[in-house]
Amino acid sequence: MKLVVHDPGPMTTVQDLGRPGYLRVGIPDSGPVDREAFVLANRLVGNPDGAAGLECTLIGPRLEFSDERAVAVTGADMAAVLNGTETPRWQAFRVKAGDVLKFGPARSGVRAYVAVSGGITTPPALGSRSTYVRGALGGLGGRALRKGDQLPLGRPGAVRTGRVKAGRAADYAAEPEVRVVLGPQDDRFNARGIAAFLEGPYEMLPQSDRMGARLKGPFIEHTRGHDIISDGVALGGIQVIGDGQPIVLLVDRQSTGGYTKIATVCSFDIGRIGQVKPGQRLRFRKVTVAEAHAELRARREQLDSAVESIV
Amino acid sequence: MAIYAEPRLLPCGDRALSVELGDEISREVNARVLALEYLIQQKALAGVTETVPTFRALLVYYDPFAVRYEEVAAFLRALATQARPDVLPPARTVEIPCCYGGELGFELDAAAAKIGLSPDEMARLHASADYYVYFVGFTPGLPYMTGMPERLTIPRLETPRTKTPPGSVGIGGTQCSIYSVESPGGFWVLGRTPLRLYDPAAADPILLRAGDHVRFRMIDRAEFDRIDAAVAAGAFTPKIEEAPR
Repeated sequence: MKLVVHDPGPMTTVQDLGRPGYLRVGIPDSGPVDREAFVLANRLVGNPDGAAGLECTLIGPRLEFSDERAVAVTGADMAAVLNGTETPRWQAFRVKAGDVLKFGPARSGVRAYVAVSGGITTPPALGSRSTYVRGALGGLGGRALRKGDQLPLGRPGAVRTGRVKAGRAADYAAEPEVRVVLGPQDDRFNARGIAAFLEGPYEMLPQSDRMGARLKGPFIEHTRGHDIISDGVALGGIQVIGDGQPIVLLVDRQSTGGYTKIATVCSFDIGRIGQVKPGQRLRFRKVTVAEAHAELRARREQLDSAVESIV
Repeated sequence: MAIYAEPRLLPCGDRALSVELGDEISREVNARVLALEYLIQQKALAGVTETVPTFRALLVYYDPFAVRYEEVAAFLRALATQARPDVLPPARTVEIPCCYGGELGFELDAAAAKIGLSPDEMARLHASADYYVYFVGFTPGLPYMTGMPERLTIPRLETPRTKTPPGSVGIGGTQCSIYSVESPGGFWVLGRTPLRLYDPAAADPILLRAGDHVRFRMIDRAEFDRIDAAVAAGAFTPKIEEAPR
């Protein structure tokens, strides 16, 4: 009934669907950066969408199982190997006591998700098992995993396993087009600044983390300076400070901030940003709120029809 | 014009919008922001999931699968006209014990020299005022406060320090704050409170709320250590009283 961590990797954390409701006191919602990949992993092993699993960053962990489970790996390709044989991603597989699942460095993407039937059952904090490292909250002791950690697992239900249909898994190799709604402070940039932002491309910087994706590319020109009266920062808010470079604020973001936000990344493209490796590039594309909502519905339908069962 | 005749509604992606009620940092505008948030909590529109009040704006998160943008916008426009400070319940005054100077208030002497006061005068003046919490955020539980005596106005540190211990009471410009987690900082640290503004182990981890009043009480090092130990043991109840808005 436990998962043993032999080697944690640089940043592996327990996550569930997050901790909504506390932004007004400065506690971010956390949860997986790539929500779609996370939810798919759970569905592949027959878990509810909100069961806790692992988010692995850039280099995955080495894990040992202590009983029979269904396991699925989605998101970044970290060459997962089970007892010496590479396992497919986006598809459930069975493990038994003593089996070792080992990951390497990401070949494509940044964040891999591991779901285990029954889910990880570390104690919830403020209603969620998601780890928020900066606030020492949730997960295992409010921190990233360490060598020797033992993660408690829940009792698996009647396990139905599945795989993601052919052609439906995300591909992280291409340069993505990330959709944004302009604002809330697009009026603080001139036409040249907005055009530069929408033209791009922007390169992901290695300083990026769960708080924010730092990007480098064409200079974005302000009209009246980069300071505002501090206000709330929505998920995906794109701050542009004095150096004219954008920072996309992610799931562990500060709840408020005093810098101009030129646009906000749509919720359905947050996960894609989280899979852009340092050095890879992306472009932004402007959509209206109505277009964003139409796309959001389409994406949910795709997600809901992506899994087929393994007989 | 401090308070807008009509609120400005600004989309923030596909799941949130910001309602701006004015264009300045003032108690008057902020009270309307808090009143709008309070009315939203009372009327509970299905699909409105979370709110974040700041100086002059309220960020409203919604679930687009439960409610349309136009419905949220119409609801917020209507409520904004009723968002007057008198709809709010009474405020609270929270007493924050603070040990000024010494190793806990390691920048008191330098800050006092900078503005031409003795460290004692500066600490006394700082502890004499009624502070108002506009909102809580940035890091968990961190209060954005004004109310500091004008005489204490001081430019921020030229070189921000990389680490500030939690509980540090700092000032910069006309603002005062209390660091809630270990973090970088540009405010002068005058003292430290043994209270935890953010305690991840507690059932209710946040001490201060938007709209609170704060009074600092000067304590010596011995009392700091006593309260610190009581807080660690879960045996300290902060002094909180009802206050007029």
